[in-house]
Amino acid sequence: MRLGVFQSPTKVLFGEGTISGIGDEISQFGASKPLLVTDKVLLEKGVLEPVLRSLDESGFGKLPIFSDVPPDSDVECVRQAAAFARQAKADLVIACGGGSVIDTAKVLNIGLSLPGDLLEYEGINSFSQALKPLIAVPTTAGTGSEMSAVAMIMDKANGKKLIFGSRYLYADLAILDPNLLCSLPPRLTAGTGMDALTHCLEAYVSLGANVIADALCLDAMALIFQNLKLATTNGDDPEARANTLLASAMAGMAFTNTGVGIVHALAHTIGGAFGTHHGLTNAVFLPYGMNFNMPSSYERYARCWRHLCSLDPGASGAKYGISAKLVMEADFEKDARSLVKAVSDLADSCSIPKRLRDLGVPELADDKILELAAVAGTDPAIMFNPQEASIEDLSNLIREAY
Amino acid sequence: MPVFSSTEELQEVMFTLWNEMKGNPEIAEKLISSRLIVQFQYKDPHGLLTVDCLDGKEMKIIVGKTELKPVIEMSMKADVAHEFWLGKVNVPMALMMGKIVSKGPTPKALALLPVIKPAYSIYPKVWELKGKNQRVG
Ligand SMILES: NC(=O)c1ccc[n+]([C@@H]2O[C@H](COP(=O)([O-])OP(=O)(O)OC[C@H]3O[C@@H](n4cnc5c(N)ncnc54)[C@H](O)[C@@H]3O)[C@@H](O)[C@H]2O)c1
Ligand SMILES: [Fe+2]
Repeated sequence: MRLGVFQSPTKVLFGEGTISGIGDEISQFGASKPLLVTDKVLLEKGVLEPVLRSLDESGFGKLPIFSDVPPDSDVECVRQAAAFARQAKADLVIACGGGSVIDTAKVLNIGLSLPGDLLEYEGINSFSQALKPLIAVPTTAGTGSEMSAVAMIMDKANGKKLIFGSRYLYADLAILDPNLLCSLPPRLTAGTGMDALTHCLEAYVSLGANVIADALCLDAMALIFQNLKLATTNGDDPEARANTLLASAMAGMAFTNTGVGIVHALAHTIGGAFGTHHGLTNAVFLPYGMNFNMPSSYERYARCWRHLCSLDPGASGAKYGISAKLVMEADFEKDARSLVKAVSDLADSCSIPKRLRDLGVPELADDKILELAAVAGTDPAIMFNPQEASIEDLSNLIREAY
Repeated sequence: MPVFSSTEELQEVMFTLWNEMKGNPEIAEKLISSRLIVQFQYKDPHGLLTVDCLDGKEMKIIVGKTELKPVIEMSMKADVAHEFWLGKVNVPMALMMGKIVSKGPTPKALALLPVIKPAYSIYPKVWELKGKNQRVG
């Protein structure tokens, strides 16, 4: 048996209205001074109403709130947040928002809980002490950060993302309440959902793949195919929201144990250089990345397609945003291609832009493409990709996706 | 039983290995152009080795304590380092399993892996000749 590792220490509460239990949960941690981390959009749109109400009802109504988190949070923001948290003498951190908010909360918690400057802890496994308890309440269904042991923060001065990875970065509790997602606009619903789908499909073929993660990937992938189109077109559908939220958390449990791959390496690079949304950028690269990985992974992709078909054999794919019928062939390669087509169809059915240029990436000269490919070539994500990729391969993928 | 019997033995082997890399233009040039200071911190037995390429001109190898502030710190058991140089460690998996600690910019650390890979073929000879104070190449 191949060596492997799997851990997932986060308690998960899921279902409509679960946010109302947050006060009890805080008390169970023995905390008395929780801090809420969120962003301005969520505060202004009233997304946080149910959260604030629950906190108020449980006696935490006057808790300090840090809401200056921009999309793709940066070092400056995290330093400010950590100083704010220290000043408030916070003994527990609640992150309520998308991946940017949750990642900010994870890194601010390092600054709050450990001595010295938080940048000293950049790296993998670079600290070995537990941090203050962290409760993650995702308001997007995509990053899986509520279940992962990593956080990424932008270093704007150097135009790169800093990576923090540690078993102590797992949230202690994740509350998955689909009602908090009803206000998520279609484009972000679709983009974040494609991030989760990318986590499934990259984790499933990763060099770090293992059977425990496989099971999570297959079912999370199916939940996304079955619900993402509906969640995007009818954001008030609680069932579709709940299923995409669960899928995102399951995919997060999987990828944090297996690593991701070439699609994430490219998306991190393009996102770092041009500020494109993480999930949408993954969505653009995903079919190209899968085709690139085909020689090593077609059998694994075929298994994904077959799993999907087995749940609704022979059905028309229309309700899942897929153009073909859910039929499996006797041939792995054909089924693998059906999966890639289904991924493109799903993105189309959710009106996701097809190309980097549609995401606002400017036209790129050859030397710029080479430079970006070199960055992607050292992104930690690529170390887990099943197919070795040269700088030329990566350049070609950027060109194709442009 | 750890593969290295003492700090002296560990540091001698690692120094000899890095000195061989320094003498190999194919490896040395790329390391020097990285302009990084990388420190290896070993456990069981304890050991410390720092490779300083900061000036972009020369590769300096420092055994034991130093005042230099490394850009990247890699910590692991000496046994893991031994297995690594024998080409038997998948670094991303070892990071994931908590066997290696990488402090500092992880992409820069991972970018060095292909650069030092040719040294996998040097290491068995270094290991064989340990304690004999002989050059490998
Ligand atoms: N740590 C991990 O494991 C991990 C994994 C993948 C991605 N990420 C990171 O996550 C970030 C992306 O996160 P994201 O995709 O969730 O987007 P995001 O957190 O950047 O949010 C995008 C926008 O959506 C808004 N928003 C969020 N929830 C909403 C809601 N319910 N209603 C209305 N608006 C809402 C936000 O205010 C924001 O303006 C990137 O920085 C990426 O690097 C982290
Ligand atoms: Fe992602």
